[in-house]
This record gives sequence, C-alpha cells and structure tokens, in this order.
Amino acid sequence: MATLDLKAINKSFGTAKVLHDIDLAIQDREFVVFVGPSGCGKSTLLRIIAGLEEATSGKIVIDGQDVSTAHPVDRGISMVFQSYALYPHLTVFENIAFPLRVQKLQPTELNARVAKAAEILQLSDKLKLKPGQLSGGQRQRVAIGRSIVRNPKVFLFDEPLSNLDAALRGDMRVELSQLHRELDATMVYVTHDQVEAMTMADRIVVLNGGKVEQFGTPMELYHHPATKFVASFIGQPNMNLVPGTIKEMTPDGPVVALAGGHTMTIPVEATTAHVGSKVEVGIRPEDVDLGTDGLEVSIRVLERLGGASITYGSIGDGTAFRASLSGNAPVREGETVHLTVDPAACHVFDADGRVLRRQAAPGLVA
Amino acid sequence: MCGIILVAFIFAFGMVRKVDRFAAAAMLTMGGCNLAEMTDLTDAARAIEGTRRKVLPEAWFAWLLVAPAMLFIAVIVAWPLAETIRLSFMEADLGGEHYVGLANYQDLLESRKFHDTIIRTFYWMFLSVSLKLILGLIGAVLLNAAVPGRGLFRVLVMPPWVIPIAIGCIGWLWLYNGYFGILSGTAQAIGLTDGPFEFLAYKNSAFYSAIVTDVWVGTPMVTLFFLAAMQGVSRDLYEAAWVDGAGRWYRFRRITIPQIMPVIVSMALLSAIWTFNSFEIIWILTEGGPRSATTTLIVDTYKTAIGNFKFGEGAARAVVIVALLATFSLFYLFFLNKVNKHYGVK
Repeated sequence: MATLDLKAINKSFGTAKVLHDIDLAIQDREFVVFVGPSGCGKSTLLRIIAGLEEATSGKIVIDGQDVSTAHPVDRGISMVFQSYALYPHLTVFENIAFPLRVQKLQPTELNARVAKAAEILQLSDKLKLKPGQLSGGQRQRVAIGRSIVRNPKVFLFDEPLSNLDAALRGDMRVELSQLHRELDATMVYVTHDQVEAMTMADRIVVLNGGKVEQFGTPMELYHHPATKFVASFIGQPNMNLVPGTIKEMTPDGPVVALAGGHTMTIPVEATTAHVGSKVEVGIRPEDVDLGTDGLEVSIRVLERLGGASITYGSIGDGTAFRASLSGNAPVREGETVHLTVDPAACHVFDADGRVLRRQAAPGLVA
Repeated sequence: MCGIILVAFIFAFGMVRKVDRFAAAAMLTMGGCNLAEMTDLTDAARAIEGTRRKVLPEAWFAWLLVAPAMLFIAVIVAWPLAETIRLSFMEADLGGEHYVGLANYQDLLESRKFHDTIIRTFYWMFLSVSLKLILGLIGAVLLNAAVPGRGLFRVLVMPPWVIPIAIGCIGWLWLYNGYFGILSGTAQAIGLTDGPFEFLAYKNSAFYSAIVTDVWVGTPMVTLFFLAAMQGVSRDLYEAAWVDGAGRWYRFRRITIPQIMPVIVSMALLSAIWTFNSFEIIWILTEGGPRSATTTLIVDTYKTAIGNFKFGEGAARAVVIVALLATFSLFYLFFLNKVNKHYGVK
C-alpha cells in the first residue's frame, strides 16, 4: 500500500491564504482524519491531495513518488464526495463500474471486481437499481464501492457521513472502520465532527485557520492537547477554560489562583510562564467530582442523560463551567455546589494558548 | 386579457391573506385566554381550519384560483378551435357559408399538391430542428466552457432572438439579394459563381436559404436552454469522473448529455412545434415561392384562407395541422416520460 507525505503545502485563493506550510507524514495503512471547524482548510487540503485543486506551493509525495502535478488517476487516489456524486442516470452496477469503464477493463474482470465490491458493501441485490431508489446509507455505500473497485493506494473521504441522520452515521462509522481493516489501505478522512475523528482515526490532524494545530493519536490529543484550540475542540462536553494567575513556583509545579477564588498546585512544567503570568486552566467536565470543598459552581441547567448528568453553570466571576457527574448525582438546578478537581488532571495554557507540559501523563497510549 | 387575469389573481391572493389574518386573530384571542390550552397543536390547527371553512369553502376557493386561467383558455383556445372545426365542414367565402360535409377534406386527400406540402413541411421541420439542436448544443458547450470573456459571448448569442423577426428577415433578404447582397457578392469575388446569384429565386436555394434564416432565429433560445441545463449539472459529478480518469469527451458523453437529456427532448418538441408553424420567416422571405418551394402547411393555410378567401378549405387545413401536431405531441410526451424515467428525473 502507500505512504502519503505532504511537504510545505501552501494554498492561496487570490489574496486569501487558506493553507500555511502544511507538513504531514502519513504512514502506510493509516487512517488519518483531518478535523477542524468550517473554513479551516481541511477540505481544500483533501482536494489538493486528490488533484482537484493545485497547491500554490509544496509537494505531495505518494509512496515516495512526487505526484504534485500528476492526474488524480496517476496519483493512485480515489475520492468519496460529501454529496456522493452518484450518476443518477446509471444503475448501481454502472456507478460502481464507472472508473473501470473509463479504463476500458475487460468485461469479465470488470464484472468480477464490481461483484466483489458489492459483496463487501452488501449491495449485491441492489446492483440493478438507480441511485434515486436507494436510502442515504446505501447511496453512501455505492459511492464507497466506486472508490474501491480501482484498488487505489490512498482513499480520500470528504465528510462522507454529514448527509446521514445521527443513528445511521453511528452505524456507518463502524462500517467504515471495519472497511479500513478489511482493505488494509491508507485512508484520509475529512470531517468537522470530533466524535467521528476520535472513534475512527489512527491519528488526527487538527486544523485551524489553515494551520496544523496538532497531529497525533486520539488519546494524545485528549490527554496532551498542544494548544487551547485542540483542548477545547476535542472532548465532549467541551473542556472548561478558567482564567487564573500564577502565584508561586514550587518543585511540584506552579501555584495557580483561579478566578472565583480557588487555588491549586498544578503539576506542569512552567517553562514559558513565570510568577504573575496570566494563564488559563483547562478542566475537562468529566474530571470533576462532587465534594465539600473545591470550585464553587452555581448550576443553571441540568441535563440527566441516565448514565451521566451534565451541569451547565458558572463559577464566582461568571466564567461558564460544565461538569459531567454521575447519572444520579444529588444536584438540582439553581443550586450552588462544590466540585473537587484533581490538579494532575488539569491542563494549563499560557497567554498565547500553548500548553504547559504536564508532568504526569495519565492514560497516554503509546 | 393579461390585465384581467392579473387583477383576478391579486383578488384571489387577497382573499387568502384575509382568511389567514382572521385565523391568526382567532388564535390570538384564544391564546390570550389560556396559553396552556393551546399546547395541543392539533387543536390549534383544527381551529384555523374551522375558521377558514366558515369564510370560504376550500373547493370553491380552488375553483376561484383556476377560474381566470380556465376563462383564458376557453376564450383564446377552445372557442376558436371549435369554430375552426365547424368552419372546416362549410363552403365559406366572403359571400356566406353553407354546409358541405367532408368535401373540403376529400379535396385535400385527393390533392397531390397538398401531399407535397405535408412532406415538405415535415422535411422543413426535421432539418431545421436538427440544425437548431446541434448548433444549440455546440453553442452551449462553448458558452459553458471556462473561457475568458464568455460573458461577452453569452450576450452575443442573443441578437437573433432579441431583434424583431421581421427586421431580422429583412436583413436576410438583403444578404440573399443577387445584385446587392454580400453573399452573392462574395461568391462572385472568389469565383464561385460567374454572375449575380439570387438565392431566393430558385426552388432548392430558396428552401435552404429559408432554413438557414429559420435556424438563425431559433438557435439562440435552444442554446440558452441547453446552457441553463448544463449549468444545473452538479460539479461534483464532473469532479468524481475526473478523479476516476474520465476525459473531456467521456464526461460530455456519459454525464452532460444524459443529465440534460430531458431538456434536450423538451426543447426538441417545442422547437418542432414552433418550426412546423413558423410563418413569418417564410412569408417575409419568399411568400411560399418560388413555385411553392417554400410553402409549408401553415403558409398554405394562410394563402388559402386569407389570400383566396376560401375560409372553409383553409379551416380544413388548420384542422389537419392541429391533428398532426397533436399526434406528434402525444408521441413526444410519451417519449419524454420514458426519457425522464430512464435518466432518473422521475
């Protein structure tokens, strides 16, 4: 199969620069997800890899071969579009066979390959139908079928699940992960949904404003976000960011006075901060517990999900604070509660939004 | 007439607004009494429904909406058609009319000249429509291509359609003129002909000259319709095909043509009917001559009924035209339905 290297990719549309020096090395058989908010350049980057857009500068290397100016077919990629881009006038069979017809493949070989793809995607009994007669999930599968018959080196997916309803999206997520294992291929997948990224990716590229914020495994991103942006983008509900000031430096880490009056010694390496620095402390909603001391939080809204209770409230100075408590936590809307925080679970970001390295590394998967 | 319809529609829409406003007012009063009672949405919907029924029954209201269009069709289409059919069984001239039964039709059936006219009309239609479709398709492809300055070209397509047909045809009259026309002049200059050539004076050249002018008038609209259809084809389809290695011609053949096929078929039908009934171009250029070389059914009908005051015989010809076009349209609609089904539109 194939490796995919992006070297210093830049892209401008007129005067608007949408991608800044993207450097990525994607390994063979890796499932990499580009994730980021709308307009972060993730789709543009995918289209550049596909050959649908030309990079303003930089190189695309697939399997050691520079394909920056090559035709999509010669790059050995195939792409699944957000809209599926199925040909409405062709049957499912002909849609899947389209790339092979273009190659003028022998009929026997063509039939065999389409049949195999249809079998993998459970479309064997749908081959004679038109796309208009299929459900959303089936159309999605036809689009995938069209991309696998060509045996490409790299599969590209552009938000393929965003047109499906929530339940189906969950099913298709599992199917795609399974497909990745079956095909054992390199896949690049674009989404704005962090749940899709976390569940499917071997490694995630978080893009923001045309720059790579971080490239790492889902657990790296969760436990060691490099920036405030990654920290607040990954994880559900979003991480709380509480302003604070460094009061003192100790061997165990800086002592931080949080807004709202609570003070903690957080075990991080304060290399880019000093006493008096303004910082932001990142606390994941799932890292807090009900207690008798700690942060004082007044709860405005309570969502009981059964397995967990999500509270939305604020601490003393008005900073919003979310907490994920146990399903039957004894809290009520309008109440003020104390939430204890394990300092080792906290993240600290300096004034530029960069993380101060955590001394302890809970749950880091190598 | 149009003014009357417009007024009628404005009146009808006014009624809708009034009904809704009344319903909204009723809702508000109810809401004012007790909001909790309003939580049942079906109740609220029933309340609106009830109010509306009191003001105007829905079926009446529907009839009121379609009435202007029905009236329009009755006066403009149905009555003249009935009158024409009645007249076709009459021997009618300026002196009066009397019943002759099927005599007019019998004359047509036995007339060799009329047979020739029918064949000529279909040949005229087939040739002209084919050229319009082919040129329209080529034009639309060129206009749809991402070439610099295509905005200007899109405007340049319009003149044949925008200028009045009569003015355009008079321009062509001059082009075809043997002594002053640029075509004859150019042909002489490059040695194609020895002397002046009158394009409209000979049977064959007159027929094909009229075709050229008809195509010139009819192509722009076909082009614009095709262009609009092409621009409606999703970009993703082309990108997907491009990623799969399909070349320009392959994409045109396997994506563009199938995707705009319903428009091509509809346009072919409309264009066929218009060309079949195209009168003013032929009349201005040749008045159906020389020696009937450009006389199509519609010209023949005009000459008979209006030129020679044989209203009954003219009406019989008109009925034949209606019958032919109706059959043709039925066949076409059936075909269009099939095309739409095949290309996934329905």
